[in-house]
Amino acid sequence: MNTKNIILGLTVILLMVSSCSDFLDQGPQTALSREDAFKDVEKLDKVITGLYNRWRETRKDRGGFIFSLGTDETQQGAYQVRTEAQQASLDKYDATLTASNNALTGQWNSRWPVIVDAATAIISLEGNTQGDAQREMLLGEACFIRAAVTFEIAQYWGGIPVLDLAKTAEYGTTRQPLPVVYDLVIRDLERAIQYLPEDQADKRRATKGAAQALLGKVYLYAPEESGARDYAKARDQFQTVINSGKYQLVPNVATLWDPNSPNPVESIFSFQFSNVWPDNNQCQWQTGSRSIANLNQYAYFGGYDLLLPTAFCYSDASEGGLWEDGDARKDASIRYDFVYNGQTPEIAAGFGGDELDPHIKKYEDIRLDGTQSFWYSGKNIYYLRYADILLCYAECLNELGSTGEAVSTVNTVRQRAWGGVLPADKEWSAGMGQEEFRDKIMDERMRELCFEGWRRMDLIRSGKFRQLILARNKWTADANAIQDYHRRYPIPLDEIKQNDEIDEEDQNEGYSNQ
Amino acid sequence: MKKSLYYIVYLMLVVLVPAGLATEASAQSVRVTGRVISQSDGNTEETIPGVSVAIKGTTLGTVTDTDGSYSIEVPSGDAVLVFSFIGYSTEEIRVGGQTNINVTLTPDITTLEEIVVVGAVVKRQDLTGAVAHATDEQLRQQPVSTVSQAMQGRMAGVLVQNDPRPGANGTTVQIRGNNSLQFGTNPIVVVDGLIMDGGLNLINPNDIASIDVLKDASATALYGSRASNGVVVITTKKGKKGEGHITYDGWIGVQELTRIMPRLGTKDLFDLRVDAFANAYMDNNPGANRQQYINDQILNENNSVAFAPYEFDAYRNNQSYDWLDRVIRTGRQQNHTLGFSRGNDDGSIYVSFNYVDQKGVVQNAGYQRYTGRFNGEQNIKPWLKIGTATSYSRSEDQFTEGSVFNIANGANPMMAITDTANYLKWAGIVDQNLYNPLRSLRIKGDSYQTRLMSSNYVAMNPLEGLNLRSTFSADVMDKRDFWYTPNDIGQSLRNSTDGTASQRNDHWLNWQWDNSVTYDKIINEKHVVSGLATFSLQKNNWDYNQVDAKGFASNDFTYKYINGAFNKDQFQVASDFVTTTIVSYLGRVNYTYNDRYYATVTVRRDGSSKFGTGNKWGTFPSVVLAWNMAKEPFLESLNLDQLKLRAGYGRVGNQNIPNYAYLTLYRAQVTGTNVDYKPEGTLGNSSVGWESQKQVNVGLDVAVLNNRLTLTADYFNTDNTNLLMRRTLPLTSGFSSTIANVGVLNNHGVELTANASIVNTQDLRWSVSANFTATRNKIKALYGDVDAIYNRGGYTGVEMQREGNYFVGESVNSIYVYKFDKIAQESDMARVSEMQLGRKVRPGDILPLDRDSDGDIDDDDRYAVGRKDPKFYGGFTTDLSYKGFSLNAIFNYNYGSKRISGLYEGYMNGTGMYAAHEDMLNRWTPTNTNTDVPRAYNGGDRYGYGDVDLGVQNASFLRLSALTLAYNLPNSLVQKIKANTFRVYVTGSNVFLVTKYKGYDPETGDDFPNSRMLVTGVNISF
Repeated sequence: MNTKNIILGLTVILLMVSSCSDFLDQGPQTALSREDAFKDVEKLDKVITGLYNRWRETRKDRGGFIFSLGTDETQQGAYQVRTEAQQASLDKYDATLTASNNALTGQWNSRWPVIVDAATAIISLEGNTQGDAQREMLLGEACFIRAAVTFEIAQYWGGIPVLDLAKTAEYGTTRQPLPVVYDLVIRDLERAIQYLPEDQADKRRATKGAAQALLGKVYLYAPEESGARDYAKARDQFQTVINSGKYQLVPNVATLWDPNSPNPVESIFSFQFSNVWPDNNQCQWQTGSRSIANLNQYAYFGGYDLLLPTAFCYSDASEGGLWEDGDARKDASIRYDFVYNGQTPEIAAGFGGDELDPHIKKYEDIRLDGTQSFWYSGKNIYYLRYADILLCYAECLNELGSTGEAVSTVNTVRQRAWGGVLPADKEWSAGMGQEEFRDKIMDERMRELCFEGWRRMDLIRSGKFRQLILARNKWTADANAIQDYHRRYPIPLDEIKQNDEIDEEDQNEGYSNQ
Repeated sequence: MKKSLYYIVYLMLVVLVPAGLATEASAQSVRVTGRVISQSDGNTEETIPGVSVAIKGTTLGTVTDTDGSYSIEVPSGDAVLVFSFIGYSTEEIRVGGQTNINVTLTPDITTLEEIVVVGAVVKRQDLTGAVAHATDEQLRQQPVSTVSQAMQGRMAGVLVQNDPRPGANGTTVQIRGNNSLQFGTNPIVVVDGLIMDGGLNLINPNDIASIDVLKDASATALYGSRASNGVVVITTKKGKKGEGHITYDGWIGVQELTRIMPRLGTKDLFDLRVDAFANAYMDNNPGANRQQYINDQILNENNSVAFAPYEFDAYRNNQSYDWLDRVIRTGRQQNHTLGFSRGNDDGSIYVSFNYVDQKGVVQNAGYQRYTGRFNGEQNIKPWLKIGTATSYSRSEDQFTEGSVFNIANGANPMMAITDTANYLKWAGIVDQNLYNPLRSLRIKGDSYQTRLMSSNYVAMNPLEGLNLRSTFSADVMDKRDFWYTPNDIGQSLRNSTDGTASQRNDHWLNWQWDNSVTYDKIINEKHVVSGLATFSLQKNNWDYNQVDAKGFASNDFTYKYINGAFNKDQFQVASDFVTTTIVSYLGRVNYTYNDRYYATVTVRRDGSSKFGTGNKWGTFPSVVLAWNMAKEPFLESLNLDQLKLRAGYGRVGNQNIPNYAYLTLYRAQVTGTNVDYKPEGTLGNSSVGWESQKQVNVGLDVAVLNNRLTLTADYFNTDNTNLLMRRTLPLTSGFSSTIANVGVLNNHGVELTANASIVNTQDLRWSVSANFTATRNKIKALYGDVDAIYNRGGYTGVEMQREGNYFVGESVNSIYVYKFDKIAQESDMARVSEMQLGRKVRPGDILPLDRDSDGDIDDDDRYAVGRKDPKFYGGFTTDLSYKGFSLNAIFNYNYGSKRISGLYEGYMNGTGMYAAHEDMLNRWTPTNTNTDVPRAYNGGDRYGYGDVDLGVQNASFLRLSALTLAYNLPNSLVQKIKANTFRVYVTGSNVFLVTKYKGYDPETGDDFPNSRMLVTGVNISF
C-alpha cells in the first residue's frame, strides 16, 4: 500500500459520510409542531376541541371550587381550614391571603394557556383560506372560548393582559384597563354569534345560543368602570335566546342532577365529563363528607369536605336561612341525611366537626356507588343553563323598569321548583319594588344556582360582596377581616416576578406581594 | 460544624505528616544492585531515575534513584525482576545467582500507556491537561460492585454521591462542581471509546484497567460537544504478554442501617399532641381554662377531640409500635469475578465473568447483575490489527414500593402494627395518603436490563508513524419494567383499580462510527510531533411502549398475565420514538521539544440534531502548553523528578437538553372517544443553541525524592455561557416554561492531590494520599435585566420552591427561604402585633427575620440563605503493609454543604399528628423559653421549619468509607497450591460518619437509608 492510495481512500470515505447532510435533521416522530398544528383546518379542529377540553379542566377537582370558597353560599370544611392555612385564607380574607396564594396562582396559571392558544387559533384562522364553513365555525369557537375565559379572569382580577395578537405590539402583556378588556370579550362574542351554528352534534362545542347567552351575561356582569354594562343589550341577547325556543326548563328539577340524563333541554352549554379518567372531574371528592369516606370509600356521597354550604345556604327561611317549604330545589341541591346502607357515620377525633353538616349534593354521582371511588365522579357541569338566563333576563327587566315583567319571569322559574304548581304564597308579587327585587333576586339565584360557580360574580356585581359574605360565611365572620377590596384577588406573585410588564406596583389594591 | 472540621483536619494531619522515622528493614536474603540506562537510537546513554524495579508476583519493589541505581532484596534466586518505566518497553530478568544487574531500557512510543479516546489511540502523557487517574490497584482497594463507588473520594475534582439502594442506580458523579444549570450535569462516560448514556453501574469494576477523568477544557476538548461536565474515560483490561492468568476475586458482605432516627415513643408523642391541641385551643380562645379543656375534651376517653380509643390504649400500656423495624432488615451482598487473560506478540485476550447479588436493608429491595466481557486484539498483517472490547450485562432489580420506607418512618407509634388495615390512622382519621407499609410490601416491582456494548476496530499502520483506525461501536440496551399492585391494598382501593399490572419496554440502540488518522514523528531526537484527525457519526435511537392494565380477579399471576385484566375503561397504553444524532470533526496536534516543552492544539466541530436549523453547529478549540522544568539545567541541582507547569485554555459545549426544544409540540390526547391536540406546556425556542464553556486551567505536577512524594495542583476558572435551562415563564405567555440559553455561570476552584510513599522498605511500606477540591460557582448573569429565575412546584405545582431558583450573584445550588430570627417570646408580642406577617406568631412560634426592617415579612425578606455546594471536599487514604499484611483506610470528607431533610422537618412539625423527633422534647413552653425548637401547635397557619433556614442543615461530614485488613499468603504457601497470589481480606464499609446532619445521611438523604457493611473477600491468581 502506498501513502497516496491511503490518503485518497480516506478522503473518499470522509466525503462520503459527510455528504449525508440530512443526518442531523431528526424531527419529532410522535408530535406536531405548533406551526403544523395551527396551519391546517383539519388539525386546527382538533386544537380547538383540545381548547374546550383544557378550559373544561379548570372545572375539575379542587381547582374547580377555589372561586366558590369564601362566598355567602359555600365555605371551606373545618378540617381543611385547620390544616391548610393558605387555602383557609380564601374564606377568612385575613392577612394570610397574599399574592403568593398557591390556589389562586393555580387558577390564574391554568387559564392563560387556554386564552393564548385561542388567540393564536383566531389569528391563524383569520389568515387561513381553507374551506369557509369549517373555518368560520372554528373561528367562532375560538372567539367564544377566548371571550369566556377572559371574562372569568377579568371578573375576579379586574384589569388583565389582553391577548389580541393583532395588537401584541400595542398591548404587550401588561394589565389593560377594563374597557379594553371588555371590548375584546364583546367583540369576540359578537363574532361567535355570527359564526357559530344553531346546533352542535358534539356537545362539547359551543352554539350560537351559548354565545348569545354569554354575551348577555357579559353586559350584565361587566363592572361599571368598564363602561360595558348595558342592561338593554343584555336583555336583547337573553330575549333572543328565550325566543329561539331551543331551550326550556325541565319539569322536575331533580333530573338536572341525574347523571343518566345528561345535556337536558335546559342546558345551553355544559362541560362534558364521564366516569373514566381523564374525563372524570373528581368534584365529589371535594364536596362529599369525610365521615362517609371513612365508612366506605366507594360510598357515592363520600368526599373530603373542601366545600360545604354555609349555614344560611342549608337552613330554612324559618331559621333565618334560605329555603321556603316545598321548594324541590332544596333536596335536589343539598344532602341532609348521611345514613349509608343502614350505617350511621361518625365524626372521628381529629376531624373538623362539620363532616356531618349538610353537604353539597349536586355533584354526587350514583353511578359509582359501591363499585368505584367518588374520585371518579364525572357528571357534566352546567356552564350556561336556561334557568340562569331567565333569572338574568328578569334582572335586566327590573333594572330597565319592567319589574312586573321581571317578577313573572322569576315566577316561571319558581313554578318549576314547586313541581309545576307554584302556591300563591310562594308567588312573587307583581307589585314588588325595584330595590326589593334586587335584594330578593340574590337569594333566588342562590336557590336555583347554588354550587354552580356563579355566586362570586353575582356578589361582586351586586355590590353586596362584603356585606353578604361577612354575614353568612362562618370563617369570614370569625376572622372579621374582609374588606371591599377583597372582591378582587391579588395578581399572583409568580406572574409579577416573571412578567416583565407587571410590577409589584401593579398589584390590586390592598394586597401585599408576599 | 467546628467539630467536624476539626476531625477532618486532624485526621488529614495524622495520615499526611511524613513520619520520616522509618527504619530500614534488615537484609535477610540476596541483595541485588545495578543501574538502569536508556537506549536512545544507539547514541548517548542516559541513566533513568524513577524506574520501577519489582519482584514479579509480589508487591515488593523499589525505584531507581537519580543516577539510575537501585538496590533490592530478593527472597531467592528464583525471583524475576521487572523493570518498567513509562515510555519504555518493560524488561524482565531472572535473578539466578546475579547480584549486579544492569539493564538497558528501549524507548517505545507505542508501548507508552495508551488509552482510546475519540476513536484513536492516545498516549496518556499526551493528555496534557488536568487529568485524574486511577489504576486498577487503587480501585481494588475497596470491595465494591460499581465503578462510581470505586471512584468515590479517590480523585481531586470528582464528587461522587452514591445511591444506597441495591444497584445504586441513582448515583451521581460531578466533576469540578456545576458547569450546567439543569441539563447534562453529569460527565459523559467513555468505555473503550464508546460513549455511554448512563448505565455506568453495569460495568464490572474488576474489568477496569484504569479510569482517567478528563477535567479541564484542553483535555475534554477531545469530546467537545458533550464534555462541559467532564469526561470519565474507562479502559478495560487486556491480556498481558507472557504466561496466561486465571484470577478469582470474590467477597461477601453483611449490611445494616448506619442510623436510626431518634423518634418519640407513645408517651412523649401523646404529651406532644395534648400540648399541640391545647395551644391551638388557647390561641383561638384566649382566656379559656387550658387544663379544663385538656381534661374535658382531650383526655376524655369517651369523646376526645384529639385521641382515638386505640391511642388511649397504647398510652395506658405505654406501648410504642415500631413500624419501621418491620420494613428494614439485614442486607447482604456478594460479588464474584472470574478472569482469564493471555497475550503474545501477535495479540491478546481477556475474558471475564462477574456475578453480583445484593439484598438491600429495606425489605424487597434487591439487585443481581451478571456480566461477561471479551477483549481481544490480533495482528492480521504486519500493518493491520483488529480488536474488540465487548461486554454483555444483565441486571435484575427488585424494588420496594416508594412509599414504604417514608410512611414507615412517619408511622404512628400509637397504632398497633397490623397488615390488615389499608391505611394508617392518626387520631382515628384514616389517611388515604398513608398506605400501610406492610401491605405496600406486597407490591411487586421488577426491572430487567440487558446491555451489549461492543467496540470494534481495524487499525492500519501503513507507514512508520502513521496509524489509521476505524472503530464501529454499538450500545444496545433493553430495559423491561414490571409492576404489580395487588387488588386488595390501599393503592388499589383508593384508585378503584382492582389491581394494576404495568409493563414497560425501553429499547436503546446507539451506534457510533469513529475514523481517525494519527501521525507520530520524532525529528532530530528532540522534536516529537503527533497529529490526530477524526471524523465521527453518532446516532441514538430510543423507543418505548407501556401497558397499564387494571382489574384483576386474583393476585396469583401478578403482572405476568394481563390478558386477565377486566377493567378495560382504565387501561392505558403509551409509546414513543426518538432519534438524535451528532456529527463531529476533530483535529489535534501535539508537539514536544526535548521532553521539556509541550504544546497541544485541538479544534473540534460538532453538529447536533437537538438544535434547530442554523443552530446545529458549534466549534470548540483548545490549546495547552506545558513546561517540564525539572529537566532544565538550572534546576538540575534540586534533584527534582518532575516539575511540570501546565496552562490551558479551551472551549467545550453541552447539548444535553430535552428533545425538540426548538419546537412547540402538540400531541394527540384521547378523551372519551375523541382525539384532541394539546401542547406539552413547553414553549419551543427556535434560537436555542449550544451551551458553551470557556475554561482556563493552570496546573503543576511535582515529584521529588525518587517519585516518593508527588503533588499535583490545579487551578481552574470556567465561564459557562448560554447556559441551557428550562426557564419558567409567566403563564400569560401561554406556556409554563421554555428551554433557553440563559446567562453566565462562573465556576472556579483549586484541586490538590498528594501521594507520599513514607516508608518504602522490603517488609514495611506506608503510603498515604490525599486529595482536596474547593470549588465556587456563581451566577453572573441571567437574561435581560432579570436577576432571578424562580422554580415552582410542590403539591399544587405553583408553589415557590426552596431549591432550584437562580439568582444573580448566588450559587446555582442556593436555598431560598426566610432567615430564622428567633422563637417569639412574650416580650416580642408588642413588636409582632405591629408586623404584617401573613401567618400567626404567638410566643413559642418561629419568627422569620424581617431583613429589610419594613415591618412586614414578605417576599423581600426571603433570600438565598445557604448553598448546597460543599466549600471543599475530597478524600484521603492510608496504606500500611508489613510483610504479607496490609491495612488500608479510605476517608471521604465534605465541608460546608447544606442540605434539607424533609424527613426531619416532618418530625419537627409539632402537631403531634405525625411521628416526631426527640428534639421536640426541647420544644418551647412557657417554662422552657431558651430554645430554637418552636412550641407544639396543631394547625397550619404558622411558620414551620421549612419556611425558615432552621430546616437548612449543615451537611458537612467525615466518613471512613472503607477500612481493609488484608493478608497475602506467603509465596511458599501460595506456590504449594500452584497459585501466583492469594490474598484474603476483611473490609468494613462506611465504618463511621461524623456529621451534624439530622436526616439519615448528609450524602444520600432520606429516601433510602445508608448502611454499613462488613465484608470478607479473597483475591486469587493462578
